Amino acid sequence: MNHSIVYSNVRINESTHSLRFFMESPVHPGQFIMIWAPGIGEIPISFSSVNNPVEITVKIYGEPSKYIANLMPGEKIFYRGPYGRPFTGVTGKKLIIGAGTGIAPLMPLVDNMTSAILSAKTKNDLIFTDRIKNLYVVTDDGTLGIKGFAVDALKQMDINEFDMIYVCGPEIMMKSVYDYLLNKTDRVEFSLERPMKCGIGICDSCSINGIQVCRDGPVFSIKDLKNMDEFGRTRLSFSGKRIYL
Amino acid sequence: MNLNVDIGIKISNPFILASGILDENGYTMKRILENGAAAVVTKSIGTSERQGYNPPIIYENDPVFLNAVGLSNPGIDNFKDEVKIALESGRPVIGSIFGKDAPEFSELAKKMESYGVSAIELNLSCPHVNGYGMEVGSDPDLVYEIVSEVKSRVKIPVFSKLSPNTSNILEEAKAAEKSDALVLINTLKGMEIDIASKKPVLSNVYGGLSGKCIKPVGIRYVYEVKKETGKTVIGVGGIENVNDAIEYIMAGASAVQIGTAIYRHGIKIFNELNSGLIEYMDKNGISNINDMIGVAIA
Repeated sequence: MNHSIVYSNVRINESTHSLRFFMESPVHPGQFIMIWAPGIGEIPISFSSVNNPVEITVKIYGEPSKYIANLMPGEKIFYRGPYGRPFTGVTGKKLIIGAGTGIAPLMPLVDNMTSAILSAKTKNDLIFTDRIKNLYVVTDDGTLGIKGFAVDALKQMDINEFDMIYVCGPEIMMKSVYDYLLNKTDRVEFSLERPMKCGIGICDSCSINGIQVCRDGPVFSIKDLKNMDEFGRTRLSFSGKRIYL
Repeated sequence: MNLNVDIGIKISNPFILASGILDENGYTMKRILENGAAAVVTKSIGTSERQGYNPPIIYENDPVFLNAVGLSNPGIDNFKDEVKIALESGRPVIGSIFGKDAPEFSELAKKMESYGVSAIELNLSCPHVNGYGMEVGSDPDLVYEIVSEVKSRVKIPVFSKLSPNTSNILEEAKAAEKSDALVLINTLKGMEIDIASKKPVLSNVYGGLSGKCIKPVGIRYVYEVKKETGKTVIGVGGIENVNDAIEYIMAGASAVQIGTAIYRHGIKIFNELNSGLIEYMDKNGISNINDMIGVAIA
């Protein structure tokens, strides 16, 4: 098990924290890390910045994430990784589409050529709005920006403008974006999130059509997903029970 | 060149996916069967849905692999569709089951049989309900009872996966002698502590050690059990490449199972093992793999 020392911890909304720490191994946009809360649990978390001190962004939803979100500067942070296949970098214009904390792994892609669609349930769930210049905000309840879903904002844009589109969020949201972009462009990458236990491609928890999200993903191109009919349809639960989305 | 072996079922090569690795989702098993594995053993399935232990369920410090998944599984009734998907490959699926006693094992075996699996693998390493902290497999009378009852209730072959965490493997093997084949070995019980946090690395504290560091133990058990009982043996434990597999076969294994090695080599290991075996047999003038089984036994 590796460990580092927490450099900073910033609370970015009611239940979300961004922590920075130094890592020896290089990290690429789209990769993730397994963070260990000793004696409590272990969860996968993606990087919201890949430059040292790297940054992870964690939303509190259980005991391990609560432990991690409460780590103070100077305390040890335990991890294994980084793991996973990163996003393909491009130099031209980029569009990132993120829903909820799904925006976090897309943040390392942000530069002055990047536009973003940022969606959330409500205004208070939006994060990183201050870090992106060309920003289109969508909320389910209309408390900020367009009322609706990420795909609704996408439909108002000229997608040919972008050299690459990157998407991350709940699978249902990504499926609606996938359905809209299918046969329109091949330059789209999605970062999938499925229940993950081992993180190294052997436990089968996160698999989709025989492919391991933790090892072969989490980033897949729209072309990859064409051959995965489990996408947006079914996944296995923590116990291994098939769930229909 | 003949790579077919008979382990109670006839399989097209000696390489089988071991239980517990990439065998919970039917689509994953199907993909592995379509990529060189002669058969797959499913994740161990019990009577009802179990969440298993909280992560960390695995600790990797290559070559050390420790796991304590805690028998997470969807329950036998929910597993039917996964077997169905895996069987679309047209290759055999071996159903691994665990239970607390003979009636439970029998019920699970019957259901697995009805799903279309080709054989049953009994996971005898689950906790013994009456012997606290013990494994079912370390009680020879219970093993005998489970194997006898399952054998009398299903028509398909029954394999017993034995635990190395015992003082007398031959006693265990003898108790399971009604099985069509013995699968050796399950993981070795172990643990590690992270000294920076002063905590055990697995949430369950104890786990099962797998990977290449356990291969000499597996070879020894396969050799000893084959030599002393003559039973059909399936070897498992630390196989990383074709030489390891050949070593197991020479020790007496009719087939071998691959698990942890997928971490380093990926699913493509099955095709690599097949081509490696063909190359070895070709170079050494061996036309039938069955001529290699147990040749090292003195």
